[in-house]
Amino acid sequence: MRIVSGGVTDLGRVRTNNEDCFRIVESLDLFVLADGMGGEAHGEVASEMAVETVVKACMEPSEAGATQLGTSEPTWSGKTRRLTGAVHQANRNIYDAAEAHPEQHGMGATLTAAWIDGSKLSVAHVGDSRLYLLRSGNLQQLTSDHSLVAEQVRRGILTAAEAEESEMQSVLLRALGALPDVEVDTEEHMLFARDTLLLCCDGLTRMVSDPEIAGTLQSENDPTRAAEKLIALANERGGVDNITVIVVRVGSESRGWFSWLFGTGRRKAASNGAAGGS
Amino acid sequence: MAKLSLKFEEKTVKEVPVGNRPVSIGRSPDNDLPVDNLAVSNYHARVYFEGGRLVVEDLDSLNGTFVNDLRVERATLHDGDSIWIGKHHIKVDASGDAPVPWDSGRKASAPRINETMVLDTKARREMLQQAAATGERVQFAAGRLKVPTLIVIGGRTDQKEYMLTNKLTVIGKSAMATVKVKGWFKPPIAAQINQRDDGYYIGPGDKMPTVNGVPITGPVRLNDGDLIEVSGVRMNFVFRE
Repeated sequence: MRIVSGGVTDLGRVRTNNEDCFRIVESLDLFVLADGMGGEAHGEVASEMAVETVVKACMEPSEAGATQLGTSEPTWSGKTRRLTGAVHQANRNIYDAAEAHPEQHGMGATLTAAWIDGSKLSVAHVGDSRLYLLRSGNLQQLTSDHSLVAEQVRRGILTAAEAEESEMQSVLLRALGALPDVEVDTEEHMLFARDTLLLCCDGLTRMVSDPEIAGTLQSENDPTRAAEKLIALANERGGVDNITVIVVRVGSESRGWFSWLFGTGRRKAASNGAAGGS
Repeated sequence: MAKLSLKFEEKTVKEVPVGNRPVSIGRSPDNDLPVDNLAVSNYHARVYFEGGRLVVEDLDSLNGTFVNDLRVERATLHDGDSIWIGKHHIKVDASGDAPVPWDSGRKASAPRINETMVLDTKARREMLQQAAATGERVQFAAGRLKVPTLIVIGGRTDQKEYMLTNKLTVIGKSAMATVKVKGWFKPPIAAQINQRDDGYYIGPGDKMPTVNGVPITGPVRLNDGDLIEVSGVRMNFVFRE
């Protein structure tokens, strides 16, 4: 599988600081995105700590010696296990930092990570950032939001439409750094040629609907430009929060638009998008 | 009478009824519904009645025609569907005399607690209980877990039953599919089932599945007992306790 990707983060139109953070590690086909919370500059600290911890743990060459936090399923691949352990570690690091520095108390972060190994995709996720898969024109959400309203929808208390109108959308049930241990959602999926992955924070999904996301991803082949277009759309609608988007395109070796994409030399993958606004 | 409303940025640009003649859509001004945008082909698509059903047909346009979030060559339209052509969308009103509220597919700007916050375990439990007490649509009694299951009742697959435990279930011939369809000329991905917060949605792969005999035009929420047919395979979707 050949992978091209691009990521962009933006301050939005209302906020004065960017608490989002993302990293694309091209050599590993690893994609990590976090949305920080907790006043002053502490949201930025938390999201950066989350992303850096996960990237570092995934880059370390050996799994041996690392004490793995959290539980894992026997069927998981080594990479899935390492990624999940890394998210548990990130939770612990943020929690410990907040305990050690009283002014950072209450900081936390969402984290959504996707790691591609051949045709296997490992996903680890906490919070209300999202991972989408666009396949055969069909946009599918591969993560569950750990928000109060999403839980109410799952329990049949609210409809999906009511949840979108709710004033409780910012209330999370799970985030990194809130408690010494966290439950991490982990899943493995198989990828097919021409699949597109989208990682994004709620700054996008609160402003832009699923059909618009699908349409933008289908109309713009270049991952970075697709990410820029989605951010522009969210800003047109008001951009009330920071917006961060990573687009990953999976292709076969030599067919269709993918070879065309490579032929024109448009590859523009951002390698590091630490928070900082536009 | 069925009606098409061309919309741009929430504003209605033009409305046309669909009668016996097809309604043509495109950039050229001689269309019934001209759309002035460079992303739109001169003769982009048309909408007409066929066998009592409203159909949209893409006329080999450069940038494609989308129904809701799905690119289509030809698709049956339902009341409330949106046809997306470039940055414009066309709302389909097939409801007859009763006008339906227009769901734009855009996010309404909801009032919100501005800063994200996390509930601790106790607050979380209380809040959910409170919400459950006031909610009227509590479907799942606590402690009774219902597992969505596909039961194969026709066609050749590698198993007879599949519990849907993942966010995504792929039905097809591919070795990577969850529900492996056997036989010649079967598509690698025939259909896909996505678990969302409010239920399980079946969407197309390389094929358009039918649900209870009706071809789907986009993701459709599955109900207990639904019959799914795709690529010669018939399955029942049920919730098992």
